[in-house]
Amino acid sequence: MIRFDRVTKRYGHRAVVDSVSLEVRKGGLCVLLGESGSGKSTLMRMVNRMVEPDAGRVMLDGTDIANVPPESLRHGIGYVIQSVGLFPHWRVADNIATVPRLLGWDAARVASRVDALLQLVGLPPEDFRARYPHELSGGQAQRIGLARALAADPPVLLMDEPFSALDPGIRRGLQVALRRIHAETAKTILFVTHDVEEALLLADELAVMQDGRLLAHGRPAEVLRRDADPVVKRLFGEATLAFHRLGTLRAANAARPASATQPAEAQLPILPPDSNLKQALMLMLESGTDQVALPGGATLHLSDILAAA
Amino acid sequence: MRLPHRAVPLLAQAAAFLLALWAAPHLGALWGAPFPDVQRPVWDQRGWFALLGAHLMLSVGAVVIAAALGLGGGILATRGQGRLRPLLDALFALAQSVPPIAAIALALPLLGFGAAPTMLALVLYACLPVLRGTVAGLDGVAPAVLDAARGTGMGAARVLWQVELPLAAPVILSGLRVAVVLSIATAAVGAMAGAECLGTPIVVGLANNNGAYVLQGGLFTAWLALLADRALALLAR
Repeated sequence: MIRFDRVTKRYGHRAVVDSVSLEVRKGGLCVLLGESGSGKSTLMRMVNRMVEPDAGRVMLDGTDIANVPPESLRHGIGYVIQSVGLFPHWRVADNIATVPRLLGWDAARVASRVDALLQLVGLPPEDFRARYPHELSGGQAQRIGLARALAADPPVLLMDEPFSALDPGIRRGLQVALRRIHAETAKTILFVTHDVEEALLLADELAVMQDGRLLAHGRPAEVLRRDADPVVKRLFGEATLAFHRLGTLRAANAARPASATQPAEAQLPILPPDSNLKQALMLMLESGTDQVALPGGATLHLSDILAAA
Repeated sequence: MRLPHRAVPLLAQAAAFLLALWAAPHLGALWGAPFPDVQRPVWDQRGWFALLGAHLMLSVGAVVIAAALGLGGGILATRGQGRLRPLLDALFALAQSVPPIAAIALALPLLGFGAAPTMLALVLYACLPVLRGTVAGLDGVAPAVLDAARGTGMGAARVLWQVELPLAAPVILSGLRVAVVLSIATAAVGAMAGAECLGTPIVVGLANNNGAYVLQGGLFTAWLALLADRALALLAR
């Protein structure tokens, strides 16, 4: 879907992005993780030609985007930034309608699309469509920013630290909303962040950048494996690497199936469906047991977690 | 429409101004009081309303041209990383630094007497505040808003018209307001070049040692400038 082919961007003598090749599959959510100045935003902004590479090329669905005029390219790519950038002189509905209007949709279609998007991002349309941006909280503004990016139903979404400026509680809410929207819409999403927790919560695929280079790329569990690159280990925090790795492994895959000979003990705490091993360990610590039950009768022992980690 | 409500005091002030213009020829005792030596203190060589009309034509005409130049210059100065900004700012500052009276004198041989040299002097004088207002207004647009506008696929012209100029409008308008006041107040010097305006009684009064004429011309010019300032302040809200 999105393919970076040895792209490089230099500012002066410094290569901010240094010969990076990366492929994001259709419908995937790829998180670009790195510290500030690692080149992750610059790499992302090449996709909608907000930054032009000095060398290499970016392919979108098999087309070299250098051959697509920037304006029409951007109509097909949702763009969400940390500072949101809502147009302060336009109402929420007009902000969301930006791209549909550029594409010449008729008023009725625009209006119904605006309401559908407000619902998708979890804001009641009748409350919000007539508000001005200064009448929104930070979290609400970013939800509108997301709705604006999704307005013309673009297949690709670029998100540049969209939740970094928000309070932790609000941020969690938006991360959950994004996962739900990703599951419902199957957009291809490239998501830039410096927050390890956020990256692990969202990523199908993780791409780690440092000094303009791509250090590691793959499923989160692969990137966080025991023999990971030392720089990756340092980035994730060496002390907590194993703990983060547990967060990438599904509890169901490490559990022991329900057995007839040894009936599950009645009082075991129950782990919610789709939990990972980190959550399982947290539940054990919380309830002071070395076993937890999974829905369906399987059990998970502390030793299973140690073996999987 | 709540504008009429806010406009009531302004309309009252405008009415008072027009009433004063109408009454001026009948107030000989008032104009004569500070100048006991003046034989004929009442200005009667030309109707006040004719002078007012001519004065407005001159100053508003000049402001329209100055606004076009200042706005155009301001937009140009903020394009392409502001490469043209120092040049344009210096050029417009130079234009304003020429005293209007000198500009008129220098233009006389080329443009002749009357409205043309006055207009030129006023335009030179009034376009700097519009330029500065435009540049400050456009500079004040949040970078994130511009990034988002480009990111949604708006072309440069659309970003300018739909995002930058509307957001910069209050600051641009305050620059325009300064230009209008400057232009109305300064248009009076046009009388030196023979352009009829509210400055005519001032020039005639100076030539004939008639302080009462100067008082009347000066009073009504200043009054008009203040009225225009109030009107634009209302518009800016």
